[in-house]
Amino acid sequence: MNTIELQQTLPEVFAGRDSIVSDIWHKQVALQRGKTYLIEAASGTGKSSLCSFIYGYRRDYQGIICFDGENIRNYSVFQWVAVRKRSISMLFQELRLFGELTAWENVQLKNTLTGYADKKQIRQWFEALGISDKWNERIDKMSFGQQQRVAFIRALCQPFDFIFLDEPISHLDDGNSRIMSEILIEETKKQGAGIVVTSIGKHLPLNYDRIISL
Amino acid sequence: MVWKLLKQHISAAQLAGFFFANLCGMVIVLLSVQFYGDVLPVFTQGDSFMKKDYLVVSKKVSTLGSVVGKSSTFSEGDIADMEEQPFTKAVGTFTPARFKVYGGLGVQGMQLSTAMFFESVPNRFVDVKLNDWTFKEGQEEIPIIIPRNYLNLYNFGFAQSRNLPQLSEGVMGMMSLDIRISGRGQVKAMKGRIVGFSNRLNTILVPEDFMLWANRTYGDNETNRPSRLIVEVDNPTDERIAQYFKDNGYETEGDKLDSGKTAWFLKVIVSIVLSVGLLISILSFYILMLSIYLLLQKNTVKLENLLLIGYSPSRVARPYQAMSIGLNLLVFVLSMAAVVAIRSVYLDVIGKIFPDLPPSSLLSSCVAGGILFLLVSCLNVWAIRRKVNSIWIRK
Repeated sequence: MNTIELQQTLPEVFAGRDSIVSDIWHKQVALQRGKTYLIEAASGTGKSSLCSFIYGYRRDYQGIICFDGENIRNYSVFQWVAVRKRSISMLFQELRLFGELTAWENVQLKNTLTGYADKKQIRQWFEALGISDKWNERIDKMSFGQQQRVAFIRALCQPFDFIFLDEPISHLDDGNSRIMSEILIEETKKQGAGIVVTSIGKHLPLNYDRIISL
Repeated sequence: MVWKLLKQHISAAQLAGFFFANLCGMVIVLLSVQFYGDVLPVFTQGDSFMKKDYLVVSKKVSTLGSVVGKSSTFSEGDIADMEEQPFTKAVGTFTPARFKVYGGLGVQGMQLSTAMFFESVPNRFVDVKLNDWTFKEGQEEIPIIIPRNYLNLYNFGFAQSRNLPQLSEGVMGMMSLDIRISGRGQVKAMKGRIVGFSNRLNTILVPEDFMLWANRTYGDNETNRPSRLIVEVDNPTDERIAQYFKDNGYETEGDKLDSGKTAWFLKVIVSIVLSVGLLISILSFYILMLSIYLLLQKNTVKLENLLLIGYSPSRVARPYQAMSIGLNLLVFVLSMAAVVAIRSVYLDVIGKIFPDLPPSSLLSSCVAGGILFLLVSCLNVWAIRRKVNSIWIRK
């Protein structure tokens, strides 16, 4: 997948609003593979909605979203499963980890599906992000910042053309944010993938090709 | 790993409830099917060489009729009328011998000899599987079916009072009778071999081919009207039959009507038990579906997250499908085991009362259980998949 196009897209809940000042809603926007984007927004302007439209788990929008020119509204279940396994990786704002499983089990659950990363690599990421001691800790016993890092590692355990990070560092200190950036750059370079980061204030320190305000 | 995640919230009590309810239902269903298969021969056995649902019909012989010489034979009109009745499948006539027959039997040096008579019915009323039931011109041996009463008469009356050995049916089958037929000034000695005993036919039956040949060769020329008819019917319990016979002054021989009724009652009772079993099975299936729906409902968030990290709906549904199929299979196997155990108990009892009952197999209940298992499992698989799909679509 090389481009994600948004044509006159607007969440249905915004349909009643008169004036919408946005670089994305009701505009023609194309996200290119290999580029890095920052979507800046105030709370409630539809960041997470955008992610959910592109990731196919909500369809309450107007306009058209296309992957490489194909309207995703007509995607089959089968196509969506393939997209989520191979084309788009998503770090959810609400993380969507499984509280009753350990950190490693959460990552493993994704990795056994894709078979992408080896255990050694995953361990290195845990160490780099300073949570190697949480390897066998249950997720619901960990702080939100620690959980964010586990979810980030899980998001890396698959091949992708685009990686979406929805407020990835809301609970991280600058040191860990920097390390996360380094890992992210290294991985996306390896895959030639595009990065889309959303933020309401604190940015993941990267060289953004384009900053879009929602 | 997926299973570790999804097995949470599984309610052992609910599943146990389903398990026992379904087990009960399944055992009742399978047992009634099996019991029906095992016990039905008790009512239908005896004349295994005859088609099942037939009646032997004769006209009443009344004192007045005898005095005024009223015929007790069936005219062609009577037969045609009988054929037109809605309950009739086929009508055959008894052909009597028009020659003289003497039969002799030697037992321990003692010669028993008597005048006899032969009758025949069309071959299609005698089960064709009976290979012995053939006669070709020139054949010296005649296959014969005699009433079982004759054997009883000999065994329990004659043999006991004269200190003669009692004969089993098997021994009788091995003995040959000396048959002498005569007519039109000719005499021919032949051998007779008993190939079957009948509870219901009060006659000495020989193959039709033999009868035609012998009547042609030795018989006088007058043709007798048949005095008895053999009628194949759809359902011997049909009340129209009784009404028709009463209206025309006909009588039926043998106990076919009674045993037909008994078999019919057995069918009714088994159907009732079967429906109760099916009802329990359906209700237990309902419990399982509710339990799984509840489980899926409680795990909705987890299922949703699994779908979002790239698991396909079929992959997510699989553990639950496997669980329900496993449960169903266990129920099937256990209920078959229960049927085998219970069956061995009642077969013992039946075996003592009816020693020569043909052995029946477990096939019918196996097939019934298999069908039930497949049906329930398919429904489970489909319902679970539908529920998971609804979680997918909700987004």
